[in-house]
Amino acid sequence: MRLTSLKGLALPVAAVIATVACGGGGTTGGGSNKGTIVLASDYPASGGEASTGIPEQQAVAFAVSQHQTIKGFTIQYKPFDDAINGVHDPQKGAQNATTMAGDPSILAMVGPNNSNVAKAMIPILAPVPLVMLSPANTNECLTKSFPYCNPAPSELRKGSTNNYFRIAGTDDVQGPAMADYAYKTLKFTKVAVFSDNETFGKGVADNFQKRWTSLGGTIVVRNDYDAKNTSDFKTYINSAKSGGAQAVYIGATTGNKPCIFKAQMKGILDVPLLGPDGFALDPQCIKDAGDNAANIYGTTAGSDPVAGNDPNAKPVIDAYKKVYSKPSDIATYTFQSYDCASLLLDAISRAIDDAGGNKPTRAQVRDEVAKTKNFKGITGTWTFDQNGDITTPVFSYYKSDPGNQADGEWKYISSQGVSGS
Amino acid sequence: MDGSPAGTAQDSAAAAQAEEVEDPAAIAARDQAWTEGLMAVRAGMVGNRWVRLLRWVVLAVVVAILLVMARNIATHGLAYFLQTVVYGLAGGSLYALIALGYTMVYGIIELINFAHADVVSFGGFISLYMVTAFGFKEGVVNGPLVMVGLVFITAATMLLCGTLNVTIERVAYRPLRNAPRVSPLITAAGMSFVLEGVMFLWKGPVNNHYPDLIPAGAVTALGTTVRTKDALVVVLALLLMLALDTFVTRSKLGKAMRATAQDRDAASLMGIDINRTIAATFFIGALLAGFAGTMYGLYFGNIVFDLGFATGLVAFTAAVLGGIGNIRGAALGGLCIGMFEAFWNSYFVSAWTQVMIFVILTLVLLFRPSGLLGMRVPDRT
Repeated sequence: MRLTSLKGLALPVAAVIATVACGGGGTTGGGSNKGTIVLASDYPASGGEASTGIPEQQAVAFAVSQHQTIKGFTIQYKPFDDAINGVHDPQKGAQNATTMAGDPSILAMVGPNNSNVAKAMIPILAPVPLVMLSPANTNECLTKSFPYCNPAPSELRKGSTNNYFRIAGTDDVQGPAMADYAYKTLKFTKVAVFSDNETFGKGVADNFQKRWTSLGGTIVVRNDYDAKNTSDFKTYINSAKSGGAQAVYIGATTGNKPCIFKAQMKGILDVPLLGPDGFALDPQCIKDAGDNAANIYGTTAGSDPVAGNDPNAKPVIDAYKKVYSKPSDIATYTFQSYDCASLLLDAISRAIDDAGGNKPTRAQVRDEVAKTKNFKGITGTWTFDQNGDITTPVFSYYKSDPGNQADGEWKYISSQGVSGS
Repeated sequence: MDGSPAGTAQDSAAAAQAEEVEDPAAIAARDQAWTEGLMAVRAGMVGNRWVRLLRWVVLAVVVAILLVMARNIATHGLAYFLQTVVYGLAGGSLYALIALGYTMVYGIIELINFAHADVVSFGGFISLYMVTAFGFKEGVVNGPLVMVGLVFITAATMLLCGTLNVTIERVAYRPLRNAPRVSPLITAAGMSFVLEGVMFLWKGPVNNHYPDLIPAGAVTALGTTVRTKDALVVVLALLLMLALDTFVTRSKLGKAMRATAQDRDAASLMGIDINRTIAATFFIGALLAGFAGTMYGLYFGNIVFDLGFATGLVAFTAAVLGGIGNIRGAALGGLCIGMFEAFWNSYFVSAWTQVMIFVILTLVLLFRPSGLLGMRVPDRT
């Protein structure tokens, strides 16, 4: 908290001072240099997924550049790449985790980007214990215990104290997030709910349905389709139509055809399509929906400080853009990654105090992360619950905007905190 | 080939026995593993009282399902029912078109042509390519010009698919015509993967949007809407099937095809060019495939490189349901499966649709191995 309060006002100044201090310091510098603390990250940083992973890495590097020394310790950044052949790979993540565990200078880790990588890393890093903070993992089973979770979060941590935290809202809250919005803002009362029958899709659809019913809305039809073998959705559309649906919610990822469903609604049922980040913000969804791509609403986990033009976030974003100026330097979760790094550095600072000014242990850093209360990041204000999740996850709402290439054919509407299911 | 489920155990066993007596030499000579296997299963199982019990259980389940469906139909009303019929017919006629390709090839060379459904998706890709090249887009060009263009594109796609299928036959099946039966099955699966691979490299793994070019417009009666699209698919498919049936029963080449299917050697002795006849069968099957591929794109608005796998499996089921080798059977089977799919999706939990389709296939194979209209296999069996 102390560190970040500086950030807003005197960012460029702080950066300059830090640079000077570092340049003048050197290895034999004044008594202020007590050693090096390394902040690691784990993201897919090569191949196709580098478009997400590299900006995430840059955001961490940027956060570290703002805090080059903390209470006499030099802070260094060490990125790890978990992609193999351009795709995030749990095994590679596990390898990285083993390397990190063996490097005593690493006290905290930002990432990973993908839930299945986290699943592979947590069992290795929990006993060490090295704290992890992810900007992007949304799979609920990493932190919350549901009957379908295999393994359960406690098994995943091998009985150790929780070392895994995240600032992304979980999938089980995405459904309720859209239910809140559709019921309270769009004022719908009757919806049809479908899913692609996969863990993610069915999960969000079930949770949407639960929240919708508890809000007092009506579900006119609920069905799950076999995505691989279904290309004809007209019977489903007909069932929604005959029930008088004002909107259709589909829990699915783009590849499982929710937007083809929307295309086939043309001329039969002209109501909006609602859904999760499985297809929200995806340009492929707009292509799939053809000339019926208008009126698709989607949620994503986290706020969108860039599209949302958040004045609190603007100084940081502008400073980041000075260093990383290409449009591709900002992707989904870039500033969430920045927040994670800042939060960890803040926790490290507090842990140094706990250690009486000496180098803290990994357990001290982990405990300080767990104690984080109302940390003001630029994508939200974060407090962790006992599971390692944030207490009020933020979701953003988008609406399809076909033809508007500049914004990727999706228009930002708003962000709001959503209470858990 | 009496497949009546009502026959008693002794009857069926006797029937199976009688068949063997009638033509023992031919059976020994040819590898009719398919038919034989089915008959053996049936003869072996029908005599078992557990199977008779199973029959009652199946009957009870079917009756229960029908009762629930009747109740659901009653609650949803007439308009919903009719609309389901419309969508079922449209989907079913596409299945029927694809099933015809399977059944024709099986009828003439007893090969399950796994690559057939991939020829269908290839047709979709070719026509999508042409549609894009002509600059046809939703809302940009419309009216009669598009319809003329579409007719041309469909015709060109059909011819290209025909050529492709003949080439596949020449390269992958003809050299193996006298090889053990499993060999062409393997090359067929291989061709299927080759085609899918080519389409994957061409367009990647994503769904490809196919513009909705058929003019909008609909007729509504009894609360049921029939769009131009729905009507067009059904009418054109039925016309094509009618033309095929006429061709096979009336024309000289059709006669040659039937003769070759019945007895290849005898047909050859009568002066029929076997290679040409078989090539013609592949060509005609692929004309229908090309048409089905284009219609698939236009009707569902989307094609993907591996759509042949799922669609082909259902279409093949339709062919078996109707009686593999039987052209009218394939058409009927396709329509039945399409209807079944629509009804199950409309009135039940749709995640079960595919399961139920294959349950039906299993039941048909168990209790009526020759399909609804009877299998047509060469006489030498």
